[in-house]
Amino acid sequence: MPDTSSIIRCRNVWKLYGPGTDATRDLSAAELNDTYLQTHRLVPAVRDVTLDIQKGEIFVIMGLSGSGKSTLVRCMTGLVDTTRGDMLIGDDNLTGIDARRLIDIRRRRISMVFQDFALLPHLTVLDNIAFPLRVQGKGRDARLARARELATLVGLDGREDRFPHELSGGQQQRVGIARSLTTDPEIWFLDEPFSALDPLIRHEMQDEFLRLQGTLHKTIVFITHDFEEAIRIADRIAIMHNGRVVQIDTPEGLILNPADAYVAEFTRKIPRHRVMRAGSLAQPVTPLAEGTPVSATALLADIAPRILSSDRPVPVADDQGTIIGAIDRQQVIATIFGTGAV
Amino acid sequence: MSSTILRRPQVLIASAVRSPKSLIVVLGVILVISLFPALRETLPDWAVRLPKAWLPDLAGPINRFFVWLSRKAEIGPLRVKDISRGLAAVIEMPLSLVQGLLVTGLELPLPLRKGLQLNALPWWALTAALTIFGHWVAGRRAAALVLASCLYFLGLNLWDEAMLTLASVGIAVIIGTILGVLLGSAAHRWPQLDLVLNPTYDVMQTLPVFSYLVPIILFFGFGPVAALIATVIYAMPPMARNTTLALRRLPTSVGELASMSGCSPRQRLLLVLLPAARQGLLTGFNQLVMLSLSAAIIAAVIGAGGLGNVVLQGLKSMQLGRAFEAGLGITLMAIVLDRLSRAFALRRPSHGTKMTGWRRHPELFCGLGILALGFVAAQVAPMTRDFPAVLTGSSGRMLDDFFTWVNVSFAGPIGALRDGFVRHLFRPTKDALLSLPWMAVVLLVALAAHQVRGIGLALATTAMLSFIAITGYWDMAMTSLYLVTISVVIAVLIGFPIGVLAAQNPRLGQATALVTDTLQTLPSFVYLIPVVMLFGLGDFPAMVAIVAFALPPAIRYPMDGIARVPQSLTEAADMAGCTRFQRLIHVQIPCALPEIMLGLSQTILMAFGMLVITALVGTRGLEQETLIAVSKAKVGEGLIAGLGISFLSIIADRLITHGSARLRRRLGQV
Ligand SMILES: Nc1ncnc2c1ncn2[C@@H]1O[C@H](COP(=O)(O)OP(=O)(O)OP(=O)(O)O)[C@@H](O)[C@H]1O
Ligand SMILES: [Mg+2]
Repeated sequence: MPDTSSIIRCRNVWKLYGPGTDATRDLSAAELNDTYLQTHRLVPAVRDVTLDIQKGEIFVIMGLSGSGKSTLVRCMTGLVDTTRGDMLIGDDNLTGIDARRLIDIRRRRISMVFQDFALLPHLTVLDNIAFPLRVQGKGRDARLARARELATLVGLDGREDRFPHELSGGQQQRVGIARSLTTDPEIWFLDEPFSALDPLIRHEMQDEFLRLQGTLHKTIVFITHDFEEAIRIADRIAIMHNGRVVQIDTPEGLILNPADAYVAEFTRKIPRHRVMRAGSLAQPVTPLAEGTPVSATALLADIAPRILSSDRPVPVADDQGTIIGAIDRQQVIATIFGTGAV
Repeated sequence: MSSTILRRPQVLIASAVRSPKSLIVVLGVILVISLFPALRETLPDWAVRLPKAWLPDLAGPINRFFVWLSRKAEIGPLRVKDISRGLAAVIEMPLSLVQGLLVTGLELPLPLRKGLQLNALPWWALTAALTIFGHWVAGRRAAALVLASCLYFLGLNLWDEAMLTLASVGIAVIIGTILGVLLGSAAHRWPQLDLVLNPTYDVMQTLPVFSYLVPIILFFGFGPVAALIATVIYAMPPMARNTTLALRRLPTSVGELASMSGCSPRQRLLLVLLPAARQGLLTGFNQLVMLSLSAAIIAAVIGAGGLGNVVLQGLKSMQLGRAFEAGLGITLMAIVLDRLSRAFALRRPSHGTKMTGWRRHPELFCGLGILALGFVAAQVAPMTRDFPAVLTGSSGRMLDDFFTWVNVSFAGPIGALRDGFVRHLFRPTKDALLSLPWMAVVLLVALAAHQVRGIGLALATTAMLSFIAITGYWDMAMTSLYLVTISVVIAVLIGFPIGVLAAQNPRLGQATALVTDTLQTLPSFVYLIPVVMLFGLGDFPAMVAIVAFALPPAIRYPMDGIARVPQSLTEAADMAGCTRFQRLIHVQIPCALPEIMLGLSQTILMAFGMLVITALVGTRGLEQETLIAVSKAKVGEGLIAGLGISFLSIIADRLITHGSARLRRRLGQV
């Protein structure tokens, strides 16, 4: 388990768009209801969000288009000012932060990958990757050496001297990823980094992303509107709806205990065996269970063939090897086809 | 009694403007009013024309103010005169340096003795270097074009003039780029600046050149520096506007990237925003270059010298052959400059050569090397400077004779054509416009403005038109307006069918695009030459020049508009069984209507742009007043008459653009 001290803390964060947002600061949260917002023609892009993100965790923010994902992340990075509430990165409160300090945080602690890549068209791949260091006034040789390292890391060897328009979409986003890693930030924000890519390339980039995270162990805030993508990479998922965070949970938790109908609808189409882990399906041990146990953290998709081919329940063991229960064929079928009590 | 009659058209108009056919009705009302002088009789006199005695003298105080400002005024310890002198000196330095290098030679000030005389660069070095630069920027064909132009100037003894013009254009472009990018970036950073800058640019771009030449002469005297300042004023606005536009069009992520990389505000602008907006900046740059050339030519009127001066002298002394040669030279220069600046804009970096220093840009260094060599050669062996005289010549005489012959032998048909136009079109139109009561015009325009935009625009047009009436320039304004109206109608009658045809046929379309693009690069001054050659002086040649100058947008906008109608719509029309004609009438033209209207407003703006210059061939409207103001150094008259033209074109432009925008919204084309 990752270090459990939280590194990003949102406390009742609001972001309103529209005329006269300042006037809302003096109101209580209860007064800022739908009628108030409508009569004052305010758009609540983010509404009363409170959450903590732990060090080293991959935190995914999900929601439909316009639900406020990008705005929330832009509050976390100081790209937009929050209207109400506190936004803490480590010990720094971004609300009302001094401009110099904010620049300093961005130069050292956080970085971002953009949906449309945001590569600078006049710079080569290498110069694009080295750009954040250039801004900091690092010498040319030092920054190019660092950029070369990162180009290799993201698999852009041999293309260092190309210009962005000479690359495919996937390659362009590799540059974007490399650039965001140049300063070795603690927190890595990615706003729908793979949405603009074809499904095949997207899958490949997700693999690449997981591989990178395997060696880097950053704290990651990742936006997507693709649930499959979310469950592939997330430790925890926050679901947003009309500016509110309606539920924060593990992928499995969202499916097992959806907080409301919206979340349930969101997760309905998801193939369960790709999310559910053996531990949450295990029933109290029956004497019939036998054979080598499967791990409680194994995905159902991976162990299903074995269970289906066995006439008896298969035992499930936790980290320490203690048997915590067993799964039988019936349960697997019920889970996959969505019948029965899941 | 009079009020009831007055109310009738009002009611009629008020009800008419609410219907979509309002414009037609408004035109109809104009017709009605002009056709019934009887109606005129019933209006009080002051509603027809303001009596002379009521008019305030605005020009006088303005003249006195400017004379005071330029001679005596002080800002703190400094006299304005000294400031303008200082500014002139600062501008003169680079200008005379470049002119010295290219044409006149330099004098290096030495501490003790008389200054050291340095000769200008020899023709062969400049020709070679310019050709190489042309190749570097735009490839082989452009290089050939550069070489051909150089040889043309050399062969026709126009070299020095051409280089003088090039020097002015070069310096104006440098100053214009710096100013434009600064102002454009400022407007991006502080959007409130738009409130001040946009109207200023509008006026700068529509005010006749001659009007602001006068105050410039007052401050900076007659000569190249004044010409340069006028050129910059005329050519800079598009650079600034394009800069702002390009910066605003950047995806938000680019700005966010700058923030997330921890850029300081300066780094943000210089390292991220401006380079990322490069493409848009270069579009503005192209316009800046072309307008600078155009203005540098016109500035001959205040002693800029160069090719424009040759044309001007030719027109004045009726040595049209020489003027024609210089005009052709200007055309060549315009095409070359357009090609090069466009190629520059389209250039995209590409990877490959890892070389650094001179090997990365061998042509640049090669060209500079030749220039250096030429400079040394010019000092050591001055005789290599001159182009061999045997190779030069002028067809001037021959051309003069040719045009005399044309004029004499075709005097009959040309005269008949001209007289026919004047008698049956020009005079009636002019009389009709002149007979309109000014109040009626103000009212009609305000109603139209209210209809397309709202009360704000209605008030603005009323203020602008009233200004013209109150300053006593109403009749002159109508005289200008009649020429523009006729020219625009003819340009549209010619341009629209061509545009529609060209849109149907890709090959014709390409050819048309090429021709209109080329025509559009030509400075307005050039159009006067052939027109004067064929038709002499007066309103008719002026009309022909205006039509020719305003034709490109009249062709291009309908053509592009129709070509841009979504394919799904034309296919739907085909599947509904439309004939090609039905498809055109029912689908393509209605969908392209907003674009066609924008084309109309561009045509009108171009027509006003040319109208200003036609003062040189003896038209009688406001434009003539601005030209007279230049020769008499009357700032007041020049500015007021100029503002009149500026207002007329701004009103026409606003009415049509807002009308087009409304139409676009109605068509859902946001
Ligand atoms: N600058 C702005 N001005 C006004 N409203 C805005 C602005 N930015 C965002 N909004 C509004 O805030 C809401 C949330 O927008 P946001 O971009 O955060 O959504 P999102 O979840 O990222 O959507 P997407 O998946 O389309 O990126 C939307 O209703 C949007 O219209
Ligand atoms: Mg978004």
